[in-house]
Amino acid sequence: MPPRFPRLLIAWVLLLVLLGVEFGVAMLSFAPWLRVLILLPAMAMAAIVGIVFMEIGRAPVVARGFATAGLFWLLVLLGLGSMDPLTRTYYHTTVEHPE
Amino acid sequence: MSTTVVEAAELEKSYLVDKSTVASWLLTTDHKRIAILYLGSITFFFFIGGIAAAAVRLNLLVPEGLIPSAETYNRLFTTHGVIMVWFFLVPAVPVSLGNFVVPLMLGARDLAFPKLNLISWYLFIIGGIIELYALFIGGVDTGWTFYPPMSTSFNQSHVVLAVIGVFVSGFSSIATGLNFIVTIHRLRAPGMTWYKMPIFLWSLYSTSVILVLATPVLAITLLLLGFERIFRIGVFDPAIGGDPILFQHMFWFYSHPAVYIMILPGFGVISEIIPVFCRRRLFGYKFVAWCSVSIAVISFFVWGHHMFVSGQSLYASVVFSLLSYAVAVPSAIKVFNWIGTMHKGFIRFDAPMLYALGFVGLFTIGGLTGLFVAALAADVHLTQTYFVVAHFHYVMVGGMVTAFFGGLHYWWPKITGRMYPEMWGRAAALIIFIGFNVTFAPQFLLGYLGMPRRYHSYPPDFQVLNVLSSAGATILAAGYLLPLGYLTWSLFRGERAPANPWGATGLEWQTPSPPPAKNFATTPVVTEPPYTFPPPELVQNRV
Amino acid sequence: MSDTYAPHEFQYSSAEHQAGTALAGMWLFLATEVLFFGGLFLTWIYARSQNLAGFDAGARETELWIGTLNTGILLTSSFVYSTGLAFARVGNNRRLMQCCFAAIGLGLAFLALKFGLEWSGDFDKHLWPVGPDFKFAGEPTEGGARLFYVFYFIGTGLHGVHMVGGIVLVAMIAWRARRREFSPLYVTPVEVVGMYWSFVDIIWIILYPLIYLIGRS
Repeated sequence: MPPRFPRLLIAWVLLLVLLGVEFGVAMLSFAPWLRVLILLPAMAMAAIVGIVFMEIGRAPVVARGFATAGLFWLLVLLGLGSMDPLTRTYYHTTVEHPE
Repeated sequence: MSTTVVEAAELEKSYLVDKSTVASWLLTTDHKRIAILYLGSITFFFFIGGIAAAAVRLNLLVPEGLIPSAETYNRLFTTHGVIMVWFFLVPAVPVSLGNFVVPLMLGARDLAFPKLNLISWYLFIIGGIIELYALFIGGVDTGWTFYPPMSTSFNQSHVVLAVIGVFVSGFSSIATGLNFIVTIHRLRAPGMTWYKMPIFLWSLYSTSVILVLATPVLAITLLLLGFERIFRIGVFDPAIGGDPILFQHMFWFYSHPAVYIMILPGFGVISEIIPVFCRRRLFGYKFVAWCSVSIAVISFFVWGHHMFVSGQSLYASVVFSLLSYAVAVPSAIKVFNWIGTMHKGFIRFDAPMLYALGFVGLFTIGGLTGLFVAALAADVHLTQTYFVVAHFHYVMVGGMVTAFFGGLHYWWPKITGRMYPEMWGRAAALIIFIGFNVTFAPQFLLGYLGMPRRYHSYPPDFQVLNVLSSAGATILAAGYLLPLGYLTWSLFRGERAPANPWGATGLEWQTPSPPPAKNFATTPVVTEPPYTFPPPELVQNRV
Repeated sequence: MSDTYAPHEFQYSSAEHQAGTALAGMWLFLATEVLFFGGLFLTWIYARSQNLAGFDAGARETELWIGTLNTGILLTSSFVYSTGLAFARVGNNRRLMQCCFAAIGLGLAFLALKFGLEWSGDFDKHLWPVGPDFKFAGEPTEGGARLFYVFYFIGTGLHGVHMVGGIVLVAMIAWRARRREFSPLYVTPVEVVGMYWSFVDIIWIILYPLIYLIGRS
């Protein structure tokens, strides 16, 4: 087996464990809004894949900058983008359907 | 041994005559040849978009509209918008001037990924052909913004095809941006530190950040729009609880930063021209450099100011309005820096400098009126009027197109190896400046008085200003046709250009005009910061 | 030959320079992919926050076991490919090729489960969100459920397209490994393709809870 194999194997086992945890937590019943937290193990899994399988550490330093930029701008899109629906006032009206 | 000889022979020939078959052009990976391919393509699209604009101005000569159908009119201004934004303004400076000079300025032999560069041109052409086909078979009448539910449920025009055209050309933008960023990070010549880079590179770097990170969001947005239009159901469909305003959020997440894709390269061009023709070091180099980067970043935080009357939450509107003021700061700093550079300079009024001066004035007006429409309360009155049209044309046309022409004249000797006729160049710069102002200054008044944009007809009260605007458009068109004529003439009859006709400082001027296929005889080593000009009395005058 | 000499293109100063640049370029490309899928995630936020009951009702109809199994398959596929890369670094082209085949096999299994089994089952259950045949038609949850399935079909479809692209790329690596093109000095293409393959995995890691888990209360 090649030198890095143990590291890869540990990562793989860890990923499957996290998948199990994620799955188990999702089987519990809790409030719809808290269920978004199920994404936390998924994010941990994504980080493991990025660090171990995609080897961000081996790429030139600037690659870390690119990865950070991608995540930062994703946060801008999702954060500023959800500012509007989270603070919007909905006025109830009766809509007449022309059937 | 033999390899050295081959290289020496290669270096004697310029990139233009290195190989001369059609395939050697269409399959080239030389950034300089791809720049020429792009230059031809965007010029073509510029005139297509221009013809549509001319038809729009012609229609508005009389209050009831000269074009019989409002539908046709809608399709014309949509054509104008779509073509000008995605097939001229967004690519214009990066893919033509940028492609040509980025490796030269860096002291590199090509971009990092030359094949990707060629692919990007083909994607652009494929997108362009699809777009032209969509317009040829009837066009689109949604405006360039493709808002649903107008674009998804309420019109019969060729939205899907038009959207596919834009989608495909978007990947060409991504490819170019990616190439520039990686090249600037990885292929700088020995000694070329970040603070020794000319400002044009900082500008294009910032532009590329936007190209790379905003365009994918446009891609997914258009994909969702296409899905919704084809299947009549989707995430923007309010009938099932979807949100049409979500489209506007996603669209402007791209399209507001895209405004800076269009103007940042212009800033870069102007920052090159002004020091050279004033024989002075750029005032506040680090400020100008970092302002480019901060504009690129902040531009992502302000998109909601396009949506003040859309129905988004008041809270979001207030936040976006506030953030919009932040982006004005670095833009204003740049204007002060250019003026600071000119102060006590040894100014020569060659054509590039005339364009640069025009740019500074027109962009300042465009930028300041941007503050009006970024103000929440004022925008409720001004939005969807000709005030907005005038504002963004001052930035896009008065700013960006002027900068493009300035840069084209400035680097023309380097690109072609020929000088353009100076008197014609100056005349065209003046005619464009005058024509532009006559066209668009009246539109500020029209908008303030309440004339809505995108209407086929208008009340008779507005006719005088509209006729003035259309008359100005004629002058402007003449101004744009002139360079097409004399630049083409100069290709064959122009005076041979020396390596450095302007006495400029960048690395691109240290190699012959036109450059050899592999750019430099030996890899240059950079020791001096940019814009280190000798005292004026030592400057050799070209004439 | 390839054991001693690593070639590079004329615009680079060395083979290492070219290799690092390729890796950096791929990372930047993947950053653009993040934003591409980011738009899709924003639609998820909008659709779910504005139609909570219907959206989650739609999510409860998904085939949980296929989604979970597929997640495991993709994770394993990434692991297998990375093992192949580790073999390539010590000059073992044969093991690299075998790992590529295994990764491709797992990828194809994913696609078969996803599009062969799951999608066809979804169509049978009238979950295609277009038209009056939709399972939830007429119910108060109809709109939200339709939005969920718009997200579901576009999200899994786009991911599938990326999978197909990844399989083609891995197959090209396998082919080049068969020709013994890689050596400890030259593994950049293997690394770059591996990054893409793992990235497609990451997208699925995020899509999996968004589709199968969060709505299943």
